[in-house]
Amino acid sequence: MGVRSIVADPSGYWNGLTRAEQGVSGFIVAFVVLLLFGLLTGGLAPTYFLFLVGLAGMYALMSLGLNVQWGYTGLINFSVAAFFGIGAYGTALASSSSSPIAGDLAPVVGLLVALVLAAVLALLIGIPTLRLRADYLAIASIGLAEVVRIIILNEDQWTNGSAGLRGIPTFFDGWPVLSTFPQTMPGIAISWLPGETIVLRQSFWQATLNVTLVLAFIGVSYFVLKRAHRSPWGRLLRTIRGDEDLARALGKNTYRYKMQAFVLGSLIMALAGVFYAHLNLYVGPGDLNPITTFYVWVAVILGGSGSNRGALFGGFVIVAIQQGTRFLNDFGWIPFDVAPLRLLVIGVIIVLIMRFRPEGVLPPQRELIWPSVVDEAPKQPDTGVRDAKAGESE
Amino acid sequence: MILDLIASGLVFSSIIVLGSIGLSLIYSIADFANFAHGDTMTVGAYSALVTFGAVGGLGGSLLGLPYGFFVALAVGIAAAAVVAVITEKVVYAGLDIGSIGLLITSIGIAFIYRAVIQLRFGAGFTRYDIQVLRPIDALVPYGVRVTLHDVAIVGSAVVLVTGLHVLLQYTDLGRKMRAMADNPELARVSGIRTDRVKLWTWVIGAGLAGAGGVFLGLFSRLVPRMGFNLLLIIFAAVILGGIGSVYGAMLGGFLIGMINQLTPALSELGSLLPLVPDAWGIPIGIEYADALAFVIMVLVLLVRPNGIAGEAT
Repeated sequence: MGVRSIVADPSGYWNGLTRAEQGVSGFIVAFVVLLLFGLLTGGLAPTYFLFLVGLAGMYALMSLGLNVQWGYTGLINFSVAAFFGIGAYGTALASSSSSPIAGDLAPVVGLLVALVLAAVLALLIGIPTLRLRADYLAIASIGLAEVVRIIILNEDQWTNGSAGLRGIPTFFDGWPVLSTFPQTMPGIAISWLPGETIVLRQSFWQATLNVTLVLAFIGVSYFVLKRAHRSPWGRLLRTIRGDEDLARALGKNTYRYKMQAFVLGSLIMALAGVFYAHLNLYVGPGDLNPITTFYVWVAVILGGSGSNRGALFGGFVIVAIQQGTRFLNDFGWIPFDVAPLRLLVIGVIIVLIMRFRPEGVLPPQRELIWPSVVDEAPKQPDTGVRDAKAGESE
Repeated sequence: MILDLIASGLVFSSIIVLGSIGLSLIYSIADFANFAHGDTMTVGAYSALVTFGAVGGLGGSLLGLPYGFFVALAVGIAAAAVVAVITEKVVYAGLDIGSIGLLITSIGIAFIYRAVIQLRFGAGFTRYDIQVLRPIDALVPYGVRVTLHDVAIVGSAVVLVTGLHVLLQYTDLGRKMRAMADNPELARVSGIRTDRVKLWTWVIGAGLAGAGGVFLGLFSRLVPRMGFNLLLIIFAAVILGGIGSVYGAMLGGFLIGMINQLTPALSELGSLLPLVPDAWGIPIGIEYADALAFVIMVLVLLVRPNGIAGEAT
């Protein structure tokens, strides 16, 4: 369903959506209108808005990674925070000026270091745990993630311990044009809007670059995963999720395929960590707290396990909850701290999803099918039903 | 020093045992890994805090603890049990999503418990309003620094565990619970009202967890995260003992608690053991005590998934 066909027949496109898709689309449109309103009236600073988009992209990226493991393959991995952390620490150790090991390398080298470290960690965690039953895997993986956190917290000579790593350059540091892009762009004053005059300065252009980076990461991951999901490899992963014994009976080495899915998902989570390190310019052991794991889990089960669109949607909802509760702090009449309120909202969402819609808001439906099969299949073949039956002509 | 570590290991083990019995019972009878179990302990601890603040000391004291504290302990146990039963009735009973779905749901429940406690008490730590005791004088010459409170924790845990043993072995309910842990379908067709037994399992499991939480607050201090932080250690204990086995959970809890507190001694193992060179030891710091428990847990899952106690009760 391309953009052109949506423009040509908007009401037909709308009617073709499921109720859930209509609801989510309505929600997204309303949310975008609200944000635009905030931007135009000056209630929401453009730089902060871009920071939020970057954070949402980061969670969406991790959700895509977890989706490969849980959504496709049914691996219940509770060590998301460890891979996020190893990604952030990998690039920080290579590129930060305060790194006790190497330091001051180009951020691209940091990206490679992070991916290699994440792959090694995925093998270290995966080899012992992927043969385990699903609920044992959950417990073992969260335990090993804690081990990783404790090691990073205590091995000062490698990681700076609880002080964390400062002096991380931005990702485009040392690139031909982009490294000085924020400095060279002129400050633009916008005075034609209601409210105060907004000046777009260096920090705005820096935030624009960050958002571009995370969108690039998401774009690459999304299209790789979309292809992989529909490929024979993805089909086999779904079979393993549905019935592992069946996949084994068909002669497949399910352990190997589970390991491939585990490593692929972990690499995408590490990408999110790399982005985070160059966004925040500081990483510390607190970034490996298990709460990150559960945020990402909420995003995936809310969006719909196995659905890439759902994972993107879930990432945005998580940031809306995180930052939305922060706004509540501005209201003086709320008689309590809002940090536990966020925890409460997350908990209630988990329970409500599992109670009323365990398949998630946007469960995978047509995204498992090649679009051409749906769009171009004749509704009622004129002759020879058996030969021209939809989808089986290829 | 080693005697002192063993003594504090005993105290810590008692708390872990109280937590792990409930987790194991619920694992075998309700059939899922309950991630809200740690926060059930927190519920017990904070209920006791509120009660103790309300009733006060009530005159005399036993083992350095005012009578009012034992009232608070009872309320903490009851509150944890009531909260767990309400959760089972309102949330878990209406779900038909398999054990993995229940596991994920229980994470949400854990967050809700902790958030409500944090809304009321804030994120900081607090203590019971009980005077901190000096170590028992008679034991100090041996290097053992335990207080009467520690003795009270171990004693109460022994009483509770013995009570559970009697309940499981000699009462009708205990037999039904064992039957259900063994084979729920068979128990059901034999005429056991499995729903009712399941409710009692929640009462007993959460009650023991509540007691563990009250003692954890007495042993260190009360924080909203206290139960969640302990949850993985308790899982390690349950898995070491063998999931579903109550006696395995007791043994696993004892071992994990001991190993946890004895970690500092591992680096000088050589000087403690006979027939081993003095310089020999496992160089591992106290900061890795929890990590050690998790690694043991994964090793047990790999090598002996049924745990050291073998089959279910």
